[in-house]
Amino acid sequence: MLFDYVNVLVFMTVGVLFLVGSLLAARLASRLLHSRIHNLDKLTNYECGERPIGGTAIQFNIRFYVIALIFVIFEVEVVFLYPWAVVFKDLGFFAFVEMSIFILILLVGLAYVWCKGDLEWVKPSEISLARERSSQEHGEILHR
Amino acid sequence: MKLLESTFRDNILITRVDYFLNWARLSSLWPMLFGLACCAIEMMATGAARYDLDRFGAGVFRGTPRQSDLMIVAGTVTIKMSSRLKLLYEQMPEPKYVISMGSCATSGGPYWQHGYHVLKGVDLVVPVDVYVPGCPPRPESLIEGVLKLQEKIRNERLLARGISSVMAS
Amino acid sequence: MRNFVDQLVNNYEFLETFPRPLLYLIAMVAASAIILGFIAILVMFFVWLERKVAGHMQDRYGPMEVGRHGWLQSIADGIKLFLKEDIIPALADKPLFVIAPIIVFVGAFSAFVVVPFSENLIVADLNIGIFYILAVSSLTVIGIIMAGWSSNNKWALYGAMRSAAQIISYEIPVGIALLAAVLPAGSLSMRDIVLAQSGGFWNWFIFRNPPFGFVACIIYFVAALAEVNRTPFDIPEAESELVAGYHTEYSGMRFAFFFLAEYANMFLVGTIVTTLFLGGWEFPIFPSAFAFLNPIIFVLKGIALVFVMMWLRWTLPRLRVDQLMYVSWKVLLPFAFACLFGVSAWMLLLHSA
Repeated sequence: MLFDYVNVLVFMTVGVLFLVGSLLAARLASRLLHSRIHNLDKLTNYECGERPIGGTAIQFNIRFYVIALIFVIFEVEVVFLYPWAVVFKDLGFFAFVEMSIFILILLVGLAYVWCKGDLEWVKPSEISLARERSSQEHGEILHR
Repeated sequence: MKLLESTFRDNILITRVDYFLNWARLSSLWPMLFGLACCAIEMMATGAARYDLDRFGAGVFRGTPRQSDLMIVAGTVTIKMSSRLKLLYEQMPEPKYVISMGSCATSGGPYWQHGYHVLKGVDLVVPVDVYVPGCPPRPESLIEGVLKLQEKIRNERLLARGISSVMAS
Repeated sequence: MRNFVDQLVNNYEFLETFPRPLLYLIAMVAASAIILGFIAILVMFFVWLERKVAGHMQDRYGPMEVGRHGWLQSIADGIKLFLKEDIIPALADKPLFVIAPIIVFVGAFSAFVVVPFSENLIVADLNIGIFYILAVSSLTVIGIIMAGWSSNNKWALYGAMRSAAQIISYEIPVGIALLAAVLPAGSLSMRDIVLAQSGGFWNWFIFRNPPFGFVACIIYFVAALAEVNRTPFDIPEAESELVAGYHTEYSGMRFAFFFLAEYANMFLVGTIVTTLFLGGWEFPIFPSAFAFLNPIIFVLKGIALVFVMMWLRWTLPRLRVDQLMYVSWKVLLPFAFACLFGVSAWMLLLHSA
């Protein structure tokens, strides 16, 4: 088994070497064949032709973090399921019940997250809902 | 400064290598996804079904200048836009080419006399390789422009000493 | 691999003079180089195919001028990208910027260690094969985040964040849908999984435990499409809103490796579906009679699935971000769980019967 893992290591090393080698070769080739004009404009960040304003560490939607949290929970579950799947044939009904309980607990978790609305990407806030409602009422009044 | 340009004397090997490298560059000219005015509509038509710019390997419109080789200036370049255009040109990696498409980009076109806001020719800000006349040029003209550019690239000398450089020296 | 070298030494006596580990090492390097070359050529073929498929679906031809029907197009593209200037933006985080394409590429490429092209044409038959693929192909996310962050570019960062959210969301349905094939095989080794479905197409896992095998296969395919950022799910590199996504600032050869990794990943998905659901290297009927065609059949099945991906790309419009999350968490995940229960219940019934 160790032999196979050494094999994997060799495989990855060959991949990295190929990549680094060809990157270096490409750098050399482009340096030899083309004029390299050093100016700062070339090294600025692309922002549709504008000069970049402000930092790039932009604030992100908190959803990304929530998704990452949910992912960790379920990914761990998937990892637990794999060894179970391998021995399922031998263990039979007992394994089925055990795993059903395990999955059901996690499904309850999924249902909880679902009901809380954390799986929705754009969650209408109370304010926007209220605004919508008031504009509808306003429209109705106008309609009358 | 090109380190290797015109360093070798012409011989069969060097010219073959030159030909091969030029062939690769001219048959995969990726244009930048970039349209300024009505000429852009014709540029889109050039990429679409009837005219199919992709036949010449030039149909991969890239959104970012970092991955494109060819800038098709399609339309009126206003003076406000010209600084952006210049920056975009600068951000493209070498080797890069520019096609000036339509009379506005070439010379200011209908705005030549009274257009206070229009750049009188894009060659005032970036070096242009091929001018495509027309207002707007038909897709056939743009394809002709791309073919002319390909011809130009085919005659470039990456390694070998060309006739022109020999005469210059 | 080990058996192969031992056999070789037995047959050719002069090899005895060399130390055995050296021979093993040479064989490993040779095998990796062959796989690498094969993948590179296949990817070039896919790039050409993509453009031809796109062309013909839009009533045009696609590349026509270089070689017959433009078959040299990807070679020209490759050489051109090789000659392009390599720009690293001044404000970029240089070490991360350089490492990112390497990680993305190695993540895609090293999964091919366990892909069984035929019963013996497999570089290393790990006993955790499919699990290893899941683990290694997750490396891509790290590379993508690195690329987006280190470019110091707003487009790139947005693309990377979206891509990460998308890939990790779809990893759960992928993991659970694959269990529908692991359960009846009772092994994680890729070779054992194929051997478990030998003997004609009715034994393939896609037709086993109806309809759960089929549904699991579809779930895996859809989720894997999202994992390799292909079109119905390509919001990370949506050209019309995000320029080019996480590789906005990459030029020349570095960009080429992102490109290479994307197509290698597509083929990887094709091979996984082939191995786990479509009987691997087996010919659909009378597999033993067509045994000599095995590696070709395997690659052909993979290519057919990649063609389906291209077909989808040029047919379907792009999903919105919220639709994307909806599909992953509220459609694919519950159905994947249902498949898991269904398959295990079927197996219990068949066993007790």
